[in-house]
Amino acid sequence: MILLVPSVALFVPCFVDQLNPRAAIAALRVLERLGISADVPDGAVCCGQPPANAGYEHDARRVLTRFADTFSSYDRVVVLSGSCAMHVRSHAEEATVARTTEFCTFLYDEVGLDAVRTLGATLEKRIGLHLGCHGLRGLGLAKPSEIHAPAFNKVRALLETVTGVTFADLDRADECCGFGGTFAVTEPEISSKMGRDRLRDYTSHGAEIIVSTDMSCMLHLGGIARRQGVVVPTMHVAEILAGSAA
Amino acid sequence: MSARESILRAVRDARPAVEALPSAVMRPREVAQSHHELSATFVAAARSAGADVVETGASEIGAVVQAIVADAELGAFICDGVLGVAENGAVWLPLSRLRDRAEAFLADHVVIVLDREAIVADMHEAYARIDPRAEVFGTFMAGPSKTADVEQSLVIGAHGPRRVTVVLRG
Amino acid sequence: MSVDHRKAAAAFLADETRADWHDAALWWVRTKRDVMAQSVPEWEALRDTASAIKEHTLSRLDEYLERFERNAIANGIHVHWARDAAEHNAIVHGILARAGARRIVKSKSMLTEECGLNPYLEARGVEVVDTDLGERIVQLRGEAPSHIVMPAIHLRKEEVGETFHEHLDTPAGLANPIALAGAARIHLREKFLAADAALTGANFAIAESGGFVVCTNEGNADLGMAIAPLHIASIGIEKVIPRAADLGVFLRLLARSATGQPVTVYSSHIHGAEPGRAVHVVLVDNGRSTQLGREDFWRSLKCIRCGACMNTCPIYRRSGGHSYGSTIPGPIGSVLTPGIDLERYASLPFASTLCGSCTAVCPVKIDLDAQLYRWRQRVTSAGYGGRKKTVLATAMARVLERPPLFARGGALARRTLRVLPSRARRALSGAWGQSRDLPEMPRQSFREWYRAERGAHGS
Repeated sequence: MILLVPSVALFVPCFVDQLNPRAAIAALRVLERLGISADVPDGAVCCGQPPANAGYEHDARRVLTRFADTFSSYDRVVVLSGSCAMHVRSHAEEATVARTTEFCTFLYDEVGLDAVRTLGATLEKRIGLHLGCHGLRGLGLAKPSEIHAPAFNKVRALLETVTGVTFADLDRADECCGFGGTFAVTEPEISSKMGRDRLRDYTSHGAEIIVSTDMSCMLHLGGIARRQGVVVPTMHVAEILAGSAA
Repeated sequence: MSARESILRAVRDARPAVEALPSAVMRPREVAQSHHELSATFVAAARSAGADVVETGASEIGAVVQAIVADAELGAFICDGVLGVAENGAVWLPLSRLRDRAEAFLADHVVIVLDREAIVADMHEAYARIDPRAEVFGTFMAGPSKTADVEQSLVIGAHGPRRVTVVLRG
Repeated sequence: MSVDHRKAAAAFLADETRADWHDAALWWVRTKRDVMAQSVPEWEALRDTASAIKEHTLSRLDEYLERFERNAIANGIHVHWARDAAEHNAIVHGILARAGARRIVKSKSMLTEECGLNPYLEARGVEVVDTDLGERIVQLRGEAPSHIVMPAIHLRKEEVGETFHEHLDTPAGLANPIALAGAARIHLREKFLAADAALTGANFAIAESGGFVVCTNEGNADLGMAIAPLHIASIGIEKVIPRAADLGVFLRLLARSATGQPVTVYSSHIHGAEPGRAVHVVLVDNGRSTQLGREDFWRSLKCIRCGACMNTCPIYRRSGGHSYGSTIPGPIGSVLTPGIDLERYASLPFASTLCGSCTAVCPVKIDLDAQLYRWRQRVTSAGYGGRKKTVLATAMARVLERPPLFARGGALARRTLRVLPSRARRALSGAWGQSRDLPEMPRQSFREWYRAERGAHGS
């Protein structure tokens, strides 16, 4: 059952636009193959999270307002980042919050696994699945390890529609990778230590590719991997569903 | 203004809007546990806390306790528990049961005699039955004293008793 | 002088083997906590209830404090009030002096740490022996505790061995934990038996019954209280709870969250003094009423001092408690302490990725990550964000608000970085490039691709 949603926009966050365009292209293609022609309006490149989390919420407000205005005419705004979606949903006004959703959440909650399965992607690889913390604990993408509740993982369920995929079992299910926005450069030693530890959890459990809801985390883990000479690609969930990784 | 008045006034001025007080009694369990199940849970929890547990009939209690005391190299302190808590292996011991607080805590080996029927499921039920205000002192004791302050290695016997034996009667 | 968390953290990480060991030790405690949480079917309901009880109590704190005092006095407990650390210390010393008490044993109380009680008493000729094993270790070393529940978690057993060799005459090189704990038992037993007074904190003060509860595993608080004729309990005003029945909720959550045990070995309830003895309570404000008035931060006063937030915090585990420079470290410390001195502790709310794990483990559901975010706004509004960061963040916001400017800047940066040799790229990428490479710079941004493939898109 393909959900016909009248007007959908795709929000491509600033760093995805500049540094990971493939993830956005894949997301657009996935939506189109699912019968959703998403617009990518020019008006906004950022949700305002980086300056806001750095303590400059006041300056970030204008950026968020621009986001709200740009997407005000759409029924759904699909955001290609868990942490950006969470920022908007935590700080924007009601109408914007109501229309904004993260990409994997949108696919799982509104498009449905059956439809996603029709994408027919295959990938014979062991995936290291990385849910960004804001998407995990802030948006409810999966049950966090701290909480006593029935287990669920929307992102894993989406990836399980891909034939051939297996998942690396981690020592620490959902420990933060250490990116944290400006934290990555204001406390670089801890940030990179956390990243090294997280990367090692993936690689020591045979992950051949790290797949995430957040390319910011991937910039960080990927950058550490590259510095260490460890060859492990980092990709967005959309790229796997689009078959780009095969 | 006294410190008391000053603090109370500061608190009164600062306090946030009133929130309702919920009941502290958690929803009762759907399935009531039998005495047998309760005491099995208690025994497991007490042992997990490092206590020895001996189960015995009412008539043998004297002999059992005597044997434990005879075995205790550095002497033993014997007391009667009021109730046991199955979820954590703790026993409620008010001052009247300890008689001499210092002796109870200085003892190397504490022997607690407890009626099997005096075991309740959890702390909510425990507080429904005891009145902590009735005596100047009371403690829930769960096993021997312990510490993990040296490199997280668990050491049984910190400052308090190094051994606890619960003798379950009935 | 401001606390520079980053610098302290970097120093801690310089010994990576040690940092890994510290991180693993605390993660292990987090794991034990998870086992407990998963084994209590009503765990989340317990947290909700505990949070609601605390929020209610704080919303009527003055009434509950008065009720506690009334009932405590009726029980024969002396009640004193201290506005700040100085008053607290003077009151405690006054009680000791009137009783002629010069040798004190003290069980763990972060409040007395906060007030700097030990040096105050020592300067007045009172011997204070911290009897919690971890506290005693750091006391002998002249260090502050690095964790509120496991004060010596930052020390290897060899280091404890050295300290005991120096101060307790244990054999050089003895590092066996059982032997070391055994030596401490003998040493501290002497102190318990000779003590004139016992000082404790309290985990909970019960308004309806006028008593208080002290939870320990070691039995040190109980030994102190049982032997010495004088007992003084220092209690923060936020520790009050309405009813004894509330203890059912809190005691089920406390040890499970703190150490992964179903309950501490001793949960001792004091409702008066035995004949010939005296029990005093000192209720302490020291900034708590101010925090209570902060709409964004008063919920931090729900804290029951379990330390679970520290155990789970990936930054705390890798930087150690001392890196926060505050009595209470970690996530809760970072939302309590800036309220005391925003300039000095400005870096603490930023010692976090806002991952939210702390909020998820907190037994009383303090919104720690949201409060950290709010403190960041306070720090920068007050001008303590640092000029460089302010300029950078304002510029960032300006660029991010203007897509064409962003696109041009981004394209330029990518082009430049693409042609630079890797060493120059590394140097240019500053703090990022210390340990991370930049990705391959794409030739086209997504928007450039979109415009080319799909045509110009207005809206």
